[in-house]
Amino acid sequence: MKVPGRIVAGALFAILLGAPLVLDRYWVDVLNSIGLYAILGLSLNIILGYAGMFHMGHAAFYAIGAYATAILNTSYGVPVLWTLPVSGLAAALFALVVARPIIHLRGDYLLIVTIGMVEIVRIALINDVFGITGGANGIFGIDRPQLFGFKIRQPQHFFYLIWLFAGLTILLFSLLENSRFGRALNYLREDEVAAEGSGINTAAYKLAAFVLGAGWAGMAGTVFAAKMTIISPESFSFWESVVLFMIVILGGAGNIVGVILGAFLVVGLPEVFRDFASARMLFYGLAMMFMMIYRTQGILPPRPRTYRLDGVGEGS
Amino acid sequence: MKKLLSLVAGLGLLLGTSALAADTVKIGLMGPMTGAWASEGQEMKQVVELLADELNQKGGLLGKQVAVISEDDAGDPRQASLAANRLATQGIVGVIGTYGSSITEATQNIYDEAGIIQVANGSTAIRLSEKGLANFFRTCPRDDEQGKVATATISKLGHKKIAILHDNTSYAKGLAEEAQANLKGLNIPVVFFDALTPGERDYNTILTKMKAAGPDFVFFTGYYPEAGLLLRQKKEMGWDVPFMGGDAVNNPELVKIAGAAATEGFLFLTPPLPKDLDTPEAKSFVAAFEKKFGSAPKSIYPVLAGDGFRVLAEAIKGANSVEPAKVSAFMKTALKDFPGLTGKISFNDKGDRIGEVYRVYQVNNQGDFVLQP
Amino acid sequence: MEQFFQQLTNGLAVGGIYALIALGYTMVYGVLKLINFAHGDLFTIGAYLGLTLLTSLALTDHVGGFLGIGVLALMVMGLVGIIGILLERIAYRPLRESPRLSAVVSALGASIFFQNAIMLVYGAKFYVYPQDLLPKSPVFIFGMPVPLMRILILVASVVMMISLYLFVQKTRIGTAIRAAAIDQGAARLMGIDVNRVIMIVFCIGPALGGVAGMMVGIYYGQINFTMGWNYGLKAFTAAILGGIGNIPGAMVGGLLLGVIEALGAAYISMAWKDAIAFVVLILILIVRPTGLLGERVAEKI
Repeated sequence: MKVPGRIVAGALFAILLGAPLVLDRYWVDVLNSIGLYAILGLSLNIILGYAGMFHMGHAAFYAIGAYATAILNTSYGVPVLWTLPVSGLAAALFALVVARPIIHLRGDYLLIVTIGMVEIVRIALINDVFGITGGANGIFGIDRPQLFGFKIRQPQHFFYLIWLFAGLTILLFSLLENSRFGRALNYLREDEVAAEGSGINTAAYKLAAFVLGAGWAGMAGTVFAAKMTIISPESFSFWESVVLFMIVILGGAGNIVGVILGAFLVVGLPEVFRDFASARMLFYGLAMMFMMIYRTQGILPPRPRTYRLDGVGEGS
Repeated sequence: MKKLLSLVAGLGLLLGTSALAADTVKIGLMGPMTGAWASEGQEMKQVVELLADELNQKGGLLGKQVAVISEDDAGDPRQASLAANRLATQGIVGVIGTYGSSITEATQNIYDEAGIIQVANGSTAIRLSEKGLANFFRTCPRDDEQGKVATATISKLGHKKIAILHDNTSYAKGLAEEAQANLKGLNIPVVFFDALTPGERDYNTILTKMKAAGPDFVFFTGYYPEAGLLLRQKKEMGWDVPFMGGDAVNNPELVKIAGAAATEGFLFLTPPLPKDLDTPEAKSFVAAFEKKFGSAPKSIYPVLAGDGFRVLAEAIKGANSVEPAKVSAFMKTALKDFPGLTGKISFNDKGDRIGEVYRVYQVNNQGDFVLQP
Repeated sequence: MEQFFQQLTNGLAVGGIYALIALGYTMVYGVLKLINFAHGDLFTIGAYLGLTLLTSLALTDHVGGFLGIGVLALMVMGLVGIIGILLERIAYRPLRESPRLSAVVSALGASIFFQNAIMLVYGAKFYVYPQDLLPKSPVFIFGMPVPLMRILILVASVVMMISLYLFVQKTRIGTAIRAAAIDQGAARLMGIDVNRVIMIVFCIGPALGGVAGMMVGIYYGQINFTMGWNYGLKAFTAAILGGIGNIPGAMVGGLLLGVIEALGAAYISMAWKDAIAFVVLILILIVRPTGLLGERVAEKI
């Protein structure tokens, strides 16, 4: 009997939502981290997976969202969750301005430029740019978010906030994947020249992918700021971008389920390996290497698109 | 939904505290066991475990054995919040650590919400104890005190043109700004104020730029790896301006990195070193540490973590309870002039250590750290 | 003006090291189109192996500073070269036919592995090279004192660049390397053993990185297990700046990056140094999308 993938996914999600009832707060917090990285990974997946642009600076957008929330909340008293759209817009706008001149760069040249971008953002934050980022101290005392009068503070509370956000992300992005936009991105990933020839404005589509992915990462930044209540530039280093990059590529670039699985592996494994004490990152590095070797396309690569051809070949 | 959430929260709390009734007294240790500050964290673990072993040989606490549960914060705020959540589920009375201020800050709320005492050992940022958290303590002094001692030293030496260099970390920048403000108050001009990028090898560019500003004294507020390279490269440049460092340079590795010739005359501020404490506690501790690990502790912060452990143990004994609220109250009110490894320890209402802790040291031509009168 | 020249030499000294590491980076990239993120850690391994051999063999005591260091450099190159070959066999060969970014993730995994392996073997503390290996007295150039080691590093990177260039351009193996870089399939049809070519490249590239690590150890004295990541990133930046895959490009990119950093720090802001370097890199790439000396070929992904 073949069970539809949608039902399996739904069942898994339901099991996940029950997890805080049986897990202690540490493991719930690990799941929170995984959820946050899954959201970020999915937003990076639009750029790196669907559109195939080598982007290793996603933490920059995440940082801008988190700082937008922190500044609006601590300096102007805006409730944390209300800053969500502003964070998204701020990150998207930044992406629009920055990506415009570099979008035509290819492969590894784009990669180093995005690395440069995330480093510039981090250095700007450390140097207290415009006098609003708090320098190396970062910004502290960010309020806990309130939802319908309920204050979200325990890891268990955040679990539901984060995973509902993740669920929404999955839903919207799977619609996007099968839209005209998603198909166009796949096309230009596979063959940019042919895509251009078929009338796809590749530069505009690439830019749109960048802006959308950035905006979503910015909103994830809001959740991060709310969860930590303190943010500092160290949280948005180049290494964070590398982690997100590994999540997408290891999980399977272009596949939503793959990226979520990637988040579980890349973020969850160091926690599982804690028993190895100071050797845990050694095993983690080995695991990354061997998983990639054994699943060279990523653990769950996207399946080729299939279409039912109704009425063809049946004769008249 | 709200009901469900609070039910979930309640369950979490239950799981978190149920382990308290076990037959050991559990004390947590959170330190950077991996990452850039791994040497500090690994030594913290050695110190605290050694002290716990000694305590257990003497019969433990309240008739129970003491168990130290260590977690790695990797010197990273996000890792630290996971480590803190993990420790919070283990039924510990209190936690010792950690080293970096921003790392400690990422965990303060977690321990506070879980009702666990935190005794930081290296986090000197002022604001940590200004939040009104009932269970937060530290055995290290605060940056403002160090800033005062630094300025007093500079003005006593009679220097007229000061260069201040930091490394843009939370700690070093705070200390640099504190010193800058104090010097301004004394009308001593600061002719150079800038930051280097930590973790690099070549600081000739910075030294060349600083030399051009013509200072007669340099105060570097960063850490020993950079301080060692600065001293070495300064010597190679043939520039003989006097240098002073903050307490983050206090590590014998400094002399190894720079070489004894380049460090001779270097001044720095620090809580007193174990070797300069003539209390029997400190002497027997250093001897025991040498016996077990082959050399004396390299850094002062692990020793301050040791003091955190000893203070916490003393307070548990004194309060005759493992209930954090009682232990915490004991530490603030009843614990006075406890003979710590680094001198007498008492805490004020904010959980800060009372008393002048800083001393001025100078490196002699053998590379030894000599306490200045 | 004197300060300007002083800063220029500061920049060239740092740039020489970037160039040395970038040479190995660009060589591997040229053939495999692989961004070897583990290259920086091979550099660290070179620094540690150099120190271990130096203290255990005490060569410099027997045969003098220069010769001793020369022999050590060869030994370090050999050992790191072997590690490079093993790395390629284990971590990259299975991924040769897969999407390019899969190999990048494998390289990142290898980088994490190496870094932590060094930490476990040697411990997390800083290590220090002995200070008295080479004469301390500076050399005077146009009346300006320049430390001897700086000149050695610059000379070493220039010599290595030239010999690498000649090796790739003039020798039989070099021709095979170039052929494999252009089209592995066609090279194989012409009777070139592509696996052997890649093995050679993966011996030379890491060997160059390893010897650079040892030179950094001798020059600056202090090494630790995390140092490779930063240097690796700088070298990658330098290689891209010069046009990745291009040997003289790595040299030019490395020196230029060092000078940009030094002058940016001296005349604009020290705290913004790395940001300035990246801004310049981005501006250059906007004008020349394949780096300074990179070939302007349309890349077909």
